[in-house]
Amino acid sequence: MKKKTGNWRLGVDIGGTFTDIVLTSGDGTYVSLKVSSTPDDYSRGILEGTLALLARHAVDRNQVAELVHGTTVATNAIVENRGAQTALITTRGFRDVLELRRLRVPELYSLNYEPPKALVERRLRLEVDERIDSGGNVVTPLDEKSVHAAIDRIEGDGATAVAVCLLHSYRNPAHERRVGELIRARLPDVYLSLSIEVLPEIREYERTSTTVVNSYIGPIVQRYLASLRRRLSSAGLAARLRIMQSNGGIMSAGAAETMPAQIVESGPAAGVVGVYHAAQRAGLKNVISFDMGGTTAKASMIEGGNRSLTTEYEVGGGISLSSRLIKGRGYALKLPVIDIAEVGAGGGSIVWIDRGGALKVGPRSAGAVPGPACYATGGDDPTVTDANVVLGYVNPEALAGGSVPIYPERARQALKDRIASPLGLSVADAALGTHAVANNTMIRALKAVSTYRGRDPRDFDLYAFGGNGGIHGPGIARLLGMKRVIVPPSPGVFSAVGLLEAEPEYQFVRTLIGRVDSLDPETVDRAFSELEEKAARFAHEEGVDASRNQISRAADLKYAGQNFELTVPFEGASWSSDSAERLARAFHAEHLRTYGHNAGAEPVHMVNIRLQVRIPADFAQPLVPAAAGNAGAPRDRKVVFEGQKAPLSVPVLATRADLGRPVARGPLLIEEYDATVVIPPDCGARLDERQNVVIEMA
Amino acid sequence: MSNGRALDPITFEVIQNGLASLVDEMALTVMRTAYSGVVKDAMDYSTAFCDADGEVIAQGLTIVLHLGSFPDAVAAIRKKFAGRINEGDVFILNDPYTSGGIHLPDIYVFKPVFATEQAGGRGPVKSLVGFAGCVAHHTDVGGLVPGSNSTESVEIFQEGLRIPALKLFDGGKPVEAVFDFLATNVRLPEKVLGDLRSQIASVATGERGFLQLVARYGAGELRRYTNELLDYTERRARAEIGDMPDGTWEFTDYIDADNIPDGPIAIKVRLTIAGDIIEVDFEGTTKQVPAGINSPLPFSKAGVYGAVRLVMDPAIPTSSGFNRAIRVKMPAGTVVNPVPPAACGARGITGFRVMDAVLGALAQAVPARVSADGDGGNSLITIGGYDDNGAGFAFVDFMAGARGGRPGGDGPEGVPHPGANIANIPVEIAEVEAPVRIEHYGIVPDTGGPGKHRGACAQVRRVRLMSGEATLQLRSDKRFHPPWGLQGGLAGTPSQNTLLSGSGDRDLRTMCQVPMKRGEVILHLLAGGGGWGDPLERDPQLVREDVRNEKLTVAYVLNHYGVAVDPKTFEIDEAQTRAVRAALRRARPERH
Repeated sequence: MKKKTGNWRLGVDIGGTFTDIVLTSGDGTYVSLKVSSTPDDYSRGILEGTLALLARHAVDRNQVAELVHGTTVATNAIVENRGAQTALITTRGFRDVLELRRLRVPELYSLNYEPPKALVERRLRLEVDERIDSGGNVVTPLDEKSVHAAIDRIEGDGATAVAVCLLHSYRNPAHERRVGELIRARLPDVYLSLSIEVLPEIREYERTSTTVVNSYIGPIVQRYLASLRRRLSSAGLAARLRIMQSNGGIMSAGAAETMPAQIVESGPAAGVVGVYHAAQRAGLKNVISFDMGGTTAKASMIEGGNRSLTTEYEVGGGISLSSRLIKGRGYALKLPVIDIAEVGAGGGSIVWIDRGGALKVGPRSAGAVPGPACYATGGDDPTVTDANVVLGYVNPEALAGGSVPIYPERARQALKDRIASPLGLSVADAALGTHAVANNTMIRALKAVSTYRGRDPRDFDLYAFGGNGGIHGPGIARLLGMKRVIVPPSPGVFSAVGLLEAEPEYQFVRTLIGRVDSLDPETVDRAFSELEEKAARFAHEEGVDASRNQISRAADLKYAGQNFELTVPFEGASWSSDSAERLARAFHAEHLRTYGHNAGAEPVHMVNIRLQVRIPADFAQPLVPAAAGNAGAPRDRKVVFEGQKAPLSVPVLATRADLGRPVARGPLLIEEYDATVVIPPDCGARLDERQNVVIEMA
Repeated sequence: MSNGRALDPITFEVIQNGLASLVDEMALTVMRTAYSGVVKDAMDYSTAFCDADGEVIAQGLTIVLHLGSFPDAVAAIRKKFAGRINEGDVFILNDPYTSGGIHLPDIYVFKPVFATEQAGGRGPVKSLVGFAGCVAHHTDVGGLVPGSNSTESVEIFQEGLRIPALKLFDGGKPVEAVFDFLATNVRLPEKVLGDLRSQIASVATGERGFLQLVARYGAGELRRYTNELLDYTERRARAEIGDMPDGTWEFTDYIDADNIPDGPIAIKVRLTIAGDIIEVDFEGTTKQVPAGINSPLPFSKAGVYGAVRLVMDPAIPTSSGFNRAIRVKMPAGTVVNPVPPAACGARGITGFRVMDAVLGALAQAVPARVSADGDGGNSLITIGGYDDNGAGFAFVDFMAGARGGRPGGDGPEGVPHPGANIANIPVEIAEVEAPVRIEHYGIVPDTGGPGKHRGACAQVRRVRLMSGEATLQLRSDKRFHPPWGLQGGLAGTPSQNTLLSGSGDRDLRTMCQVPMKRGEVILHLLAGGGGWGDPLERDPQLVREDVRNEKLTVAYVLNHYGVAVDPKTFEIDEAQTRAVRAALRRARPERH
């Protein structure tokens, strides 16, 4: 790496076990470090790791300009029920909207189902006298006495966070704004969120829930970021702190403190951002990202060069694909989130036989403790990693440069006792079966973002990363008929690299209801310019001149009576004579593309408008790892592949740089510090100029 | 597999996964593209893939009461069109008496799927390999009232358009006559045709997905595995039943049906567990009635299958193999197996009660697995008419979610009856789309049946009509037979329907159809869930939490739980609690 003063940037991604830190200078290369996470106070681990990495590369602390952070602190607060004591103020007669949710539950065959506990207890859900109708007219004026009575209750109960969501406030915010003023005046120290600021969008449960989540995690996120800033500055790191959002953009720590609900999918989003930029540079328009770690596998789609965002998201619901069909497991969060599907299958997933004699993988995981049987750290259950050891995909001696010893006999024994013997299979067949069932379980995540939305995965390349992405990626690609698998450099710290590629970005939404062919142009223009003002404020908070803002506009549209909207771009900066027709045409086309049919003759209705602001990066891209190690001649290992009668003797490269010298065809393994890549028989492999391993499927 | 046949367990699991995601994908297609709230929000639809014999090999379930209702419909198609089922056909049906339907608003769409196979020396042959199916509840199919689910109809001819098994597409070409008949006979043709289009898209998705499996495994090999899936499901079901105690248990549950002289309706169940088979006999159930609540046989059977599944491992695959372990006897001419021309538009309530009655019997066989009775299935509030601009509207509202106390804890508020996993209609959406204003939607204190684990509190909804005139239709229950408790738990509070108007308030029957005027308000109070276990054994701390959260009041908990809570500090007076509980116990008649 070339040293340039004052222009160093750090990416820090926190996972359950490891904190990954990546450091880059202005020349586009990076170095990385994996350290143990410190769950009691994550900022401690961040600081120690950062200082170690800076010291190792002799970079002066005050030369670091920016630290971009992906954090699980918001999600954890919800999952572990450690949010602030929160109160909710709502319209008289509707305090139970939050608890009753949308009724529907994600478990059909259960008399025992319990929905997640409401984040605000009933006694702190307080009602005020007021009512606005669906046209925005005041039916009952706001009774300020009732607001003061609610504030008395909040004061008496000691809640430290408050959410306000009144019916139809997206249409007329006056009452909600006034309630906010009264709270501010009397309780200046509570964390306050108004639904009109968090999500001014129709549908009261989703808006209330999103606003409540924001307040519930607000004080926690504030405290965490304050502690992190304190630690960094007292260590002499004056870097600007930016946080990864769920939508794939970054924002200042200050903005994250006001909109913490925007950072709940911080970590997973970073990986997709990394893929997005890598794909862009490679000129690939259609890519599916596949991130396989220890307990879950995640997939997301990049189509036509765009990331896919969703607003149908729930936080704290655990891992469930069925949540795409039947929601209710978590708390609705209707903010734009990179659409990531997740299944409970990863390297640590336990393999088992159900009562009817069928082989299953996950969702139970051996985790880091007790771990796969081959770690010999107390785990007896066979896992996917154990199968991969038996098959020869995983190094039979040690992982991570020798720091995790592997006991292949344990893997073999566990598979034999629990799977092979009961099913009357050989151990190798049980391992192959495990690998195959794991792949078949994981492709549900890929299908969820492709075929379920009417997209054919064969039109996409697979970008595989995470600790196990390079092992399972080719098998996944084969099942879905995908032709090419790309494994980026340092797949094990790839999400942290993604952090350094992200740009400040934000999406603003506002409900605007009406048939597109009878909308009042002035109303639309006014609504868009309100959102533009918000975008200008966003740029200001990011410390950037608003003239750099790249703005794109969109509208959520539907046919009358439909309850799902599709988002289509809104061309131009203001409403013009052909806007209605162009929107309708775009909607009919998008409907046809997504669902295979449309109703071209029917009128199209608008529900929301959206405005996205992006501030283009002023730092160097692309990022490639600095000076790859040189680890000598390939060794050979016996490896079992599906469809091969006997194990094959396969060359194992110690670095991807050796690819093509001379072997460039599978079967072949690349075994690096943080991950392994498996190139199956007959598949071609090459290294591109950005150090990606590109596997052409046979 | 465990019975030693030469099938590969890995391939089996892979195919099972493939089928499960196939029907999910079909269901998702419907959910995202449907037009009407009944389909989208209530998710009142299901998707299935059946083999060439009509046996369900995978079902994308969104409603338990559709479990096992597909085979009768496929059988009707196969019988009527024997030798005339061709590639590119799509079938449609809804009639219960000629075609295996489950009531007229539920329209089935099936697409036969054909694949090429090597037939011995004769070269490749195209043959039928299965049916992709989708049933959805349509907003309207004509008849007496908007929504076509009147409780007041006395025969099926009043309930709307009867569709026998017909070709909707013939060899890939739409049959215009069928579309025309349909569009002409329903009140909201755009919605009905829109929903129908999404069903057609769904079965096309199913066909595409299944043909991918055929391409990978070959039709013959795939059939061997799907046969094994049926057997495997049966083995799982039998294994679970085998673990239950043998014996015979009886239970009778009721539908108030205060709108007809025949009410209340008794659903009588005699459930026998013998080895690995369950037999459920409905002898003694009320004869069919001149009201729209007769439940066609396929729907009633679905209720039985659904109830039995609730006490089993949820991971059992959803295939017809499950039904083989359960024998259902339903005498013809009763409300659970009506004969023509009995009306069945609002038979959902009978399906719910079939489930409840079976659960009441199972609660005696496996008490640790069954929770107390709940709200009895969702109430339906339909307000239909014309708004002030003369445009027709139909506001279909669902109220649900007061479950009974469970062996493991309280009945949760806001969780619907297991038979119909519906969603509510957002207040803001309702008010944008229909001339109504919802004035109250919430939990009502002191309504959950007392128990060691109490029943869920009831909910109330008040809906004001904002336009000229409309017809209000109610389908509710549990007023005269409120949700029962179990194991010493007590019943929840009864339901209530009141029409509030300037000229005074008027209580309405549980099922009725009345005119509604501008400014009038319908108040519907759901029943509260039944309690589970002795209320005097309830942990006083839980009682205190309920008081703090305003779900129970101080006076109520003293009377029903014998717990003395200070109304200001919420402290429990332990001495008084002991004394009151002792006194309440002494005052009890001998039990057991």
